[in-house]
Amino acid sequence: MRRKLVISIILLIAIAAFSVLAGNGAIGTKDILRVIAGGGSLSQQTILFRVRLPRVAAAAFCGAALSVAGFIIQSTLDNRIASPGILGINNGAGLFVLISALIFPFQSGVKCIMAFAGALAVAFLVSFLAVRTGMSKTSVILSGVAISAICTSAIELIISLRPETIADRAAFRIGGFAAVNPVTVLFAIPLIIIGLAVSFLMAPSMDILNLGDEVAHGLGLNVRACRNLFIMISALLAAASISMCGLIGFVGLIVPNCVRIISDKKSSGGILLCALTGAAFLLLCDTISRLIVFPYELPCGLILSIIGAPYLVWILVKKKKRLGID
Amino acid sequence: MTTSYSYGKDFFVKEALFTRGRITGVIGPNGSGKTTLLKTIAGMMPYRGSIMIDDRECRSYGGMERAKKVSYLPQTVKAVSLDVETLVWHGRFPWHGNYRKLTEDDARIIDESLQTATVQDLRKRDLTELSGGELRRAYVAMMFAQNADMMLLDEPTTYMDIKSQSMLYEILRQYAGSGHGVIMTCHGIDQAFSYCDDIVVMNERTLVKCISPGRLKEDEASLRSIFGVSVKRSDDAGLVYPYQLVK
Repeated sequence: MRRKLVISIILLIAIAAFSVLAGNGAIGTKDILRVIAGGGSLSQQTILFRVRLPRVAAAAFCGAALSVAGFIIQSTLDNRIASPGILGINNGAGLFVLISALIFPFQSGVKCIMAFAGALAVAFLVSFLAVRTGMSKTSVILSGVAISAICTSAIELIISLRPETIADRAAFRIGGFAAVNPVTVLFAIPLIIIGLAVSFLMAPSMDILNLGDEVAHGLGLNVRACRNLFIMISALLAAASISMCGLIGFVGLIVPNCVRIISDKKSSGGILLCALTGAAFLLLCDTISRLIVFPYELPCGLILSIIGAPYLVWILVKKKKRLGID
Repeated sequence: MTTSYSYGKDFFVKEALFTRGRITGVIGPNGSGKTTLLKTIAGMMPYRGSIMIDDRECRSYGGMERAKKVSYLPQTVKAVSLDVETLVWHGRFPWHGNYRKLTEDDARIIDESLQTATVQDLRKRDLTELSGGELRRAYVAMMFAQNADMMLLDEPTTYMDIKSQSMLYEILRQYAGSGHGVIMTCHGIDQAFSYCDDIVVMNERTLVKCISPGRLKEDEASLRSIFGVSVKRSDDAGLVYPYQLVK
């Protein structure tokens, strides 16, 4: 386990370094090195500090946050197909981001809070359906998909009626870091750090919760409070990411499922590994999307799905027994 | 531990006393409230009246505090992907909470629990690979590590073959012998009489009476009226269950 953590840390640092340094037609690797050394022109400095670094940070933190959010929601609902994207939590956050853009066009902070409200609303609705009605795991997923569809149509409605609310509608829907706003990043990253820290500290409770409600209760865990806390953390993490990068979905499904296969069975290790590999993975996707068709750019969500979806299918086929779906 | 409570609209109040060092079997027809009785004592159900655990009202305990007094094993347990040793380690949760470091004491308790529950050879095995009986014993080992004064088990022998059943009863006897109380619901009346020190009879969501197998004669009529059958002690030394069902 320790080796895996070290490897993923090295991987993350390597990809981050590559992502910061990778040059393109506008600014080459040499220019960036010169800026880091303290030189460079003003425009080169601006590119590095106002565009490149916020983008790299945003991609890394979004990847970590969405992966851990997925890991938590999967454990809490005891459902390996769940993820913030599939259950509509992302879309709920996205809808509220749009609403806030409609009402308070220039307030990045409000955007984050609104995203959290939307994510929280959907998360609790879904978990209420899952826990209280006793519906099957598949039905939970289906109702998540339905709620997700409601949010999507509301999003489409807003974009159609008021196209000026969002600068790049395609990028918002698929998710990407091209239009990352440094102010939003500064607001969202502390929230993500808090969410990651709390989920790591609460990991032993998650292990207990995984044993089932009654056993967990017998071990002295306050099951309901614990579940609500985890749902809130998960919503917070998803919301903070969505407010930065739009509706990136897949990472919250694929990373936790891959991590569960390679990690040991403790949630603390799983959360750490999720955060590290999720950050590295999304950062890699963003770097590729930025470089592959320069001077144009693909939305990061597109690359993510192109790489992620086949990989997930492959894993499902290969390891179907160990995922324990239904 | 004494109890006298009612739950919801269905009123069932009685006094019962559960003592350390003894195994109490709860018997009754389906739907008679056996599981509800256990869950209420384990603090999972609201109740009126009073359940005293060490002279303190059950509902006044916090989760972790209560888990040091009472442990509870539901009728069905999950075979999560986890090795047996880690599961038993989870039994130490009430003593440490979220800030857990394995102390020497914990390691010793875990070892002993694995031994007592006879799962020491399975300690590295994954729960998903175990048989029903082994899985149940692994969870019982977890409860040993929890080391609560009272252990509540809901039909621990369901889905177990006869060998695993008697193995489990022996393990529980050993645990009771070390000064802990065991309360369990039993499906079979003959088993309950054969293995338990005290019997609590429930019917129609009411605790009918507490009897001891030794004084069976006095209670035979009520057993017959509830179950349609009774039990009789046989002195044949070769019997697995000394108490046999009789018409």
